[in-house]
Amino acid sequence: MSFITAENIKFSYDEENKNVLDGVSLKIEKGDFVALLGHNGCGKSTMAKMLNAMLLPDEGTIVIENMSTKDEELTFEIRRTVGLVLQNPDNQLVASVIEEDVAFGPENLGVEPSEIRKRVDEALKAVDMYEYRTHAPHKLSGGQKQRVAIAGILAMQPSCVVFDEPTAMLDPNGREEVMKTIHTLKSRGITVVLITHYMNEAVQADRVVVMDSGKILTEGTPKEVFSQVNLLKKHSLDVPQATELAYKLIGVGLRYTEMPLTAEECVSFLEGVLR
Amino acid sequence: MSIIEVKNLRYTYGIGTPFEINAVDDVSVSVNEGEVIGLIGHTGSGKSTFVQTLNGLIKPTSGQILLEGKDIWEKPKEIRKIRFRVGMVFQYPEYQLFDDTVYKDISYGPKNKGLSDEEIDKTVRSAAKFVGLSDKLLDKSPFDLSGGEKRRAAIAGVIAMDPDVLVLDEPTAGLDPKGRDLLLAQIMQYHKERNNTIFIVSHSMEDISRIADRIMVMSKGRLVMFDTPKKVFSEVEKLEKIGLRVPQITKIMMSLKEKGFPVSDGILTVEQAMSEIVDLLKKEGRL
Amino acid sequence: MIRDITLGQFVPGKGIIHRMDPRVKILLLIAFIVFIFCTFNFVSLGVCAAAVLFVIFLSDVPFKLYLKSLKVIILIIIITSILNIFYGSGTPIFELGFLKITLSGIYRAIFVSVRIICLILISSCLTFTTSPTDLTDAIERLMKPLKVFHIKVHEIAMMMTIALRFVPTLLEETDKIMSAQKARGADMESGGIIKKIKAMTPVLIPLFVSAFRRAYELAMAMECRCYRGGNGRTRMKILHMKPLDFGCVGFAAALLAGIIVCNLILPAVI
Repeated sequence: MSFITAENIKFSYDEENKNVLDGVSLKIEKGDFVALLGHNGCGKSTMAKMLNAMLLPDEGTIVIENMSTKDEELTFEIRRTVGLVLQNPDNQLVASVIEEDVAFGPENLGVEPSEIRKRVDEALKAVDMYEYRTHAPHKLSGGQKQRVAIAGILAMQPSCVVFDEPTAMLDPNGREEVMKTIHTLKSRGITVVLITHYMNEAVQADRVVVMDSGKILTEGTPKEVFSQVNLLKKHSLDVPQATELAYKLIGVGLRYTEMPLTAEECVSFLEGVLR
Repeated sequence: MSIIEVKNLRYTYGIGTPFEINAVDDVSVSVNEGEVIGLIGHTGSGKSTFVQTLNGLIKPTSGQILLEGKDIWEKPKEIRKIRFRVGMVFQYPEYQLFDDTVYKDISYGPKNKGLSDEEIDKTVRSAAKFVGLSDKLLDKSPFDLSGGEKRRAAIAGVIAMDPDVLVLDEPTAGLDPKGRDLLLAQIMQYHKERNNTIFIVSHSMEDISRIADRIMVMSKGRLVMFDTPKKVFSEVEKLEKIGLRVPQITKIMMSLKEKGFPVSDGILTVEQAMSEIVDLLKKEGRL
Repeated sequence: MIRDITLGQFVPGKGIIHRMDPRVKILLLIAFIVFIFCTFNFVSLGVCAAAVLFVIFLSDVPFKLYLKSLKVIILIIIITSILNIFYGSGTPIFELGFLKITLSGIYRAIFVSVRIICLILISSCLTFTTSPTDLTDAIERLMKPLKVFHIKVHEIAMMMTIALRFVPTLLEETDKIMSAQKARGADMESGGIIKKIKAMTPVLIPLFVSAFRRAYELAMAMECRCYRGGNGRTRMKILHMKPLDFGCVGFAAALLAGIIVCNLILPAVI
């Protein structure tokens, strides 16, 4: 059984917003890094809230490590197992001192004080914000705030963290900091689900799932997904410029072995065709 | 003739405290009418402070800003008039919407400007058209619009003042690729029709390189480069030194050049790169 | 710029008073307020005043700040002193029409002003040396027994914590919205009060909308972090009474003893 199994999920907020999710099935394995792509309103954020039982499906089931999100008694255990980091870093921090904010989750779980201290220090070190532990959140940069928010989730010792557009409100440096932190989590064996519309972030994942109007449009490895340049463009999604160039060259008759996703891959691809 | 001329502009925060810092440090630029100026730099490079001095929201510590040759601070009591001539769209402008209908909200600026009801109606409708808001939406509450529509309504509120210079601070922040492309296209269409001067602050090198005539690069309050996108983005090392990136396609073509392939400098779009490579292949008879 | 304002009056430092348990500080402040109103002659009043000065001396906060805190209430001190001077009983030492000044009136005026000054100084000392977070924390713990009366102690404390966290954010936001509306030609400076209040609408409405949006998102973030009220919740920081705190309690006890002795030995003057 997969770590997360979502089967034929259907969901509507109300009469006006019908079928925000329209039969989504998804499997996520333990330790995977999955990117969920799609433009605004395609249902990806709704899907994120399904994964930690913030929302419950109208139809279909979501099972996380043998726990169904429909089982109300398991709600808190599911939220501890699957942490959710939201878009706006300002609106996730509760306390006016960093370390107390990070302690908020474990405190809610009723963890022993000495154990909380240990977890808070560890989490802050993992996101590289330990030196800032006594600072006030409003004086930090966006990227730093977002890292503190991640630490707050880490302190609950989740097995999976879902990121709902964590970099949308950050500048390029903040984005890079957060991506680095996401890779740290992955290297620690934590399952990562990253919702984004930045392609250069999605290409870093093991697997990419593209959603459109409440359905899964396509999924696969980044190479498999981004090779379908036409499909993505048709749904107004970006592809990396490296891929787009290679794709266009193929259009005029060049042959390729592997679709380039990064600048380096594209350079060696071009070197190959030009030599 | 230059519409805006900035002379030795300096703005210092926290004068007299230990935290004194020059947010803008000795910046001089001259911008011609009808130009699109891109502004890039880190958070904290002083670009946001700089653009806020252009319409007198921030009073410079020293230096001058000339609008059509006249110092905007000549009559400090009349600084409000400058704000109608230099329109400023802040980051996440949708958070400034307040009135009960989109129409009324867009007309807030023109009303402050003192236009007659007839003029207001005309300018509101044309501004709404520029940003692609239908008449049907004008009677809705701004709080009922979608995220992208809110953003466009807020921008229309500034365009409706019919400014000679329009400053946009990160207009596409937080939008998805679809919304971003749509908004940029609308801004450029507006620019084409109205032919006014535009300052656009952005973190996206890809966007800036596509639309700007010239680019200001700021770092630590100073203006480090002011040139065409082609020239600016051909200085990869200099940009990377201050922690800025170049568009991915530019980087790819630069590396090809370094490896000895005869491609040009400062390639900015996939189309340009495409034609360069196709030319190269044709020359070698491989296509 | 508004964002430079620091919330509350906390002055970071490492002095003895800073290191005290905030609960002890609050309790001793209450005790001191009682003491100061139990002084009935000049010696006991003097002892109290001396204790205040001693605490201020220990507090590692510039004296200038204390003077500043007094500046706000100087008018109140003057008015109450004048009222007291004229309302004393006994033989007048000075008479002007129906106004008469008595010795007891003068004594009263002195007592009232010294008491108010001491009160302000010692409470300022608490706010100067205790961070707002520590204060809320201490208040929550001290109020815990009130749960018996179905007072939602945890919820009140949580609201205070969130307010402390978001006041700087909202101030910054006000700043931004004001700039944005000014850029649309808003005139917030000129005109009478009514015009000014009207001119604030375009600032206040977006501010409220934003506050509600933040509240909604924060509530969601809190739920994501397993928040379910105060039941079963633990705290990372445990407040311990240190020898220092016992010392301070001892000091307060000595002060109380001193005041009682003075009151017993010497005659009361008011």
